[in-house]
Amino acid sequence: MIQIFNLYKTYGGAAPALNDISLSVRRGEFVFLTGPSGAGKTTLLRILYGWENFDRGQVLVHGINIVKLNESNVFLLRRRIGIVFQDYKLLPRKTVFENVAFAQEIIGTERRLIRQKTWEALRDVGLTNKKDFYPRQLSGGEQQRAAIARALVNSPDLILADEPTGNLDPEIGIEILRLFEEAQDRGVTVIFATHSQEMVRSGKHPVIMLSRGQRIKP
Amino acid sequence: MKTLIAFIIRVASTTGSNIRSNTQVFFVSVATIAIALSILGVFLVIFVNLNSFLSTWSGQVQLIIYLNDDLTQSQLHQIEQTARQNGFVESVTFNSREQAWENFKKDFAGKSEVIEGLDINPLPASFNLKFKEGADRLEHIRQFADSVRDTDGVESLDYGERWIGRFEKFMVFLRIFLLGIGGLLSLGLILIISNTIKLSILSRQDEVELMLLIGATPRFVKSPFLLEGMIQGVTGAGIALGILKGLQLYIEWQLHHTFESAVHAMEIQFLTPPFIAGLVGLSVLVAVVGSFIAIQQFIYPEAK
Repeated sequence: MIQIFNLYKTYGGAAPALNDISLSVRRGEFVFLTGPSGAGKTTLLRILYGWENFDRGQVLVHGINIVKLNESNVFLLRRRIGIVFQDYKLLPRKTVFENVAFAQEIIGTERRLIRQKTWEALRDVGLTNKKDFYPRQLSGGEQQRAAIARALVNSPDLILADEPTGNLDPEIGIEILRLFEEAQDRGVTVIFATHSQEMVRSGKHPVIMLSRGQRIKP
Repeated sequence: MKTLIAFIIRVASTTGSNIRSNTQVFFVSVATIAIALSILGVFLVIFVNLNSFLSTWSGQVQLIIYLNDDLTQSQLHQIEQTARQNGFVESVTFNSREQAWENFKKDFAGKSEVIEGLDINPLPASFNLKFKEGADRLEHIRQFADSVRDTDGVESLDYGERWIGRFEKFMVFLRIFLLGIGGLLSLGLILIISNTIKLSILSRQDEVELMLLIGATPRFVKSPFLLEGMIQGVTGAGIALGILKGLQLYIEWQLHHTFESAVHAMEIQFLTPPFIAGLVGLSVLVAVVGSFIAIQQFIYPEAK
């Protein structure tokens, strides 16, 4: 699913953001990407969804060589990836239902399917009762559920979650983790970035650890 | 087809929503376009009117070939033949010395005692040549005049060439001036519109970013902003044309009011359809270029 060989990335500073990273994640696998703040987790994820360029190395996602993508075709890669952020990135002027539906409108899903798939996605994360609420009317955990529903609604092969529990209480964080595990049960590959060792321990999944841009042994 | 319709509806509704969330900025931009195009339009109206004056005037221009007093019959015949054989000449009228003198006396009857006292005829015989209608009429007159200038029996030629030459030079200057001012205003408008669209994108940055992350095509992301620019361009041009029309009516009314019957027939010609189309086209083009620059600068430096 994901193969990375000798990846280097610098932002112009003395120390590289990513230094000789190599890893591979198999299809359907759940992997924790962990390390302290500034370790390079976000940079690595941004490279995987084609938001960031890199200096050297090879990155293959779904067999696609990321370096060969450009502005006009990178959307094809992103349509196969569901991305979840720490700050949810829900649109404040849209309801929960509209936020989830929006992800389908963007990729041109037929109108009659949008309703059905949105409903199913909200059901999977247990949020159908709040479908007409605006994000500001929801708790942090509920907002993240809505964001997960949005990430899953287009049936991606891969979920990239960047500190999805970073703003949540530990108990709520565990609930959110379970949602990603359920997605994995349905065959979705998940890369879950977190700096919380507690979260890593509770998951019992393979761990990739970064520190100062380098891969280290967990 | 369904997808296309859905896309169009989506673009239109996003554009509407963009405009609603930035109404003030949108209208400032439209007003700026309207003012800039009005300035350009005023110069265009002046140009159109001078051009129409030139073409009316050139329509009345005739070539007069003044003949030598000692002209022989064969020379006279030769000149007449040359004139009649020219394909652009519509009519040739001969004016003998006597006729010219009679006409002159008739025109100036009672106005000059000097004429009454003259006992010789100072006027030469002449041919009056009227040329056929057409955009190149002046050029045909000029060419013909050059070809007969040195013919035996021809004393001189007159068709107001010096005046026409100066006027034409002035029109060339005006054209260059219009191009210059049009170019400068367009550049200014591109910058203004590009900034307006940037503000529009900024206000929806989260949404734009999200669209890109979810996998929206570049066309899907850009289209609403390009449409917004286009709407700004068309609205601005519409208002500018309204201002120009109002200005034209006001000036005409003032002229009629002030000079009453003296200039009753005087009318300011409004921009002709090609100029109107050009002005609207320029406005839309400038707006789209401005929007495009904004989108490229804003969206893509951070995204791949």
